[in-house]
Amino acid sequence: MIEVANLRKRYRRRNVLNGVSFAVEKGQIACLIGLNGAGKSTVLKAIMGLTPVQEGTIRIDGRPVGKETYEKVSYIPDRLTVPPYMKLWEGLRFMQDFYRSWNPERARELMAFFGLDAQERVGNLSKGTAAKFNLVLGLAPDSDYVLMDEPFSGIDLFSRENLAGIFSSGLIGSRGVLLTTHEVDEIERLIDKAILLRGGTVVRSFDCERVRDEEGKSVVDVMREVLLA
Amino acid sequence: MNRYFKLVHLEVYRFRYILFGLMAVTAIVQIAALLWVSRNEVAQIQAEGVAANVNRVLFPDEKLSFAWAIFSTQRWFALPILLSIATLGLYVFLIWYRDWLGRDTFIYRLLTLPTARRNIFLSKLTAILLFVFGLISFQLALLPIERILFNMAVAPDLREPSPFTDAILASQVFKRLLPLDRTQFLVSYGFGIIAVLAVFAAILLERSYRRTGILYGFVYLAACAVAVLYPLYALGLNQADAYLYPEEVIAIELAVCLVVAAASIWLSWRLLAKKITV
Amino acid sequence: MRKGELWAEVAFNSRDPVYLQVVRLFKERIATGDLQPGQVIPSRREIAAALKINPNTAQKAYKEMEEQRLIVTEGNSPSRITRDSEIFRSIRSELIGGAVEAFLESVRSIDVPLDELLELVRRKYAEVKANKQSGQGGEGHD
Repeated sequence: MIEVANLRKRYRRRNVLNGVSFAVEKGQIACLIGLNGAGKSTVLKAIMGLTPVQEGTIRIDGRPVGKETYEKVSYIPDRLTVPPYMKLWEGLRFMQDFYRSWNPERARELMAFFGLDAQERVGNLSKGTAAKFNLVLGLAPDSDYVLMDEPFSGIDLFSRENLAGIFSSGLIGSRGVLLTTHEVDEIERLIDKAILLRGGTVVRSFDCERVRDEEGKSVVDVMREVLLA
Repeated sequence: MNRYFKLVHLEVYRFRYILFGLMAVTAIVQIAALLWVSRNEVAQIQAEGVAANVNRVLFPDEKLSFAWAIFSTQRWFALPILLSIATLGLYVFLIWYRDWLGRDTFIYRLLTLPTARRNIFLSKLTAILLFVFGLISFQLALLPIERILFNMAVAPDLREPSPFTDAILASQVFKRLLPLDRTQFLVSYGFGIIAVLAVFAAILLERSYRRTGILYGFVYLAACAVAVLYPLYALGLNQADAYLYPEEVIAIELAVCLVVAAASIWLSWRLLAKKITV
Repeated sequence: MRKGELWAEVAFNSRDPVYLQVVRLFKERIATGDLQPGQVIPSRREIAAALKINPNTAQKAYKEMEEQRLIVTEGNSPSRITRDSEIFRSIRSELIGGAVEAFLESVRSIDVPLDELLELVRRKYAEVKANKQSGQGGEGHD
């Protein structure tokens, strides 16, 4: 389980995170939803130890973030994470060199799933293709959790549907997923849990099926109610 | 440990074209200057019977030697060396910033590798040192080749043999770059390494605190500079009226240098582990 | 072939629980005969991938269907549609009942006499049936 408790972060005299708490279990697909600037990406970065927080704790299966947790949690940011001079296959080999959890079999499967050419240079990838390659890098390891920052941004509609497919495919498997988005429509039916973030605080966190069941509301309905109120 | 070596390999690999480029420029400029000057002088001697451009004070025999050639071409020799120094000086910064800037946000990956973050620091430091000593070794390997070329360009009756040490002493740049004295060598490169460590710490301060970090970085560098220079100037080394013996001043200086180096490493590791921001 | 088109192009709405929509989908497929008694159905993972839904939701839907005795799972063998004809009858009446209720709900406000309504229904029904027999392509399902 990824447990985030009472995260507080100030940056340039602004409270970017203002006491954020939530948990994501293994096998669960959770989504951090918020408008731009709500602090979604910052939460993911904080979980990966890529930005300091003033207060709060982050535990992954009970342990603090450190080099061991980087094998357990893979992170798919919204930008390139391998040097642009590398060919895609060199990027994959780099990952295999460093991560014990890297699964070359799954990497091959994913490259085929997204139709990527291993001979292409990373620096030459279009925004959408780069996003797909990022997904390959993040999903290929046998990690227990996957964090994805805006996996749908910059990707055309056709590929988006394809992308949504990975959540219901075996490529995610029984991992826990935490993703961020500001457009819920595509993935509304794919997520188990929605965590609504506004102004650096969790304003509501709920089980999507239960809200449909009990209140007859879609995630978008709740989002409109809570975030645009 | 294994991952540290992989990171070093990666850093060297990323710089390889620039490194080979600097080596190529060095070889081409130096050899061209050497051949040009030597041949001109040989032609001069053959035409007029005297060596016009041989300094009679330094080379009383009025014969051409390799040391003479190095002496006469030292400006040309210095050019690629200064270029290399400037490039490496710039790369001390770029080795960090290239991972943040532009489309290449490799720092996201580097910081989330399942290895201690100090390995990132150590690999970048090792890479810089490898580049410095790689270029110096290249220069050292180039000198015998240049001597062979010199011997081929100048007829035996016009030249006299000279040891390498004379050639190195004949050039202001070589004298500083390749100190023949071991202590001098340790002092020069020791200060160099301390400077790189301090600059790394300053860069990481900036990367951690951004705008305010620029200020912290400059303050830190200034503090290091003052700490290192203070004993040498204020306590008076080689001054007759100094309160302390030179040995004592040197001991203090050595201790200060070690403290500055250790503080820079400690600060850098701490920033990388706790404060760094992508 | 058959299996692919059976589960393709299903549009879920986002206000009703997805697992209940999946259960309803199965009931419809059973009522139309697309799913036969005793037929092996896709695994939870397969159905999740085919319908592009969360595997947890597929799991929940299958559990619900097992509770309603729509499907049976014995040991490690794949789940099958029940052979219980009682269940089939109740699915049929449930779907028809639901459709009629919805229909009545929408015409209630128009205040139309029952005879006229029934006559209209009879005529439309015949039309649709004729259409369906002439051109198999017309799906006529909304």
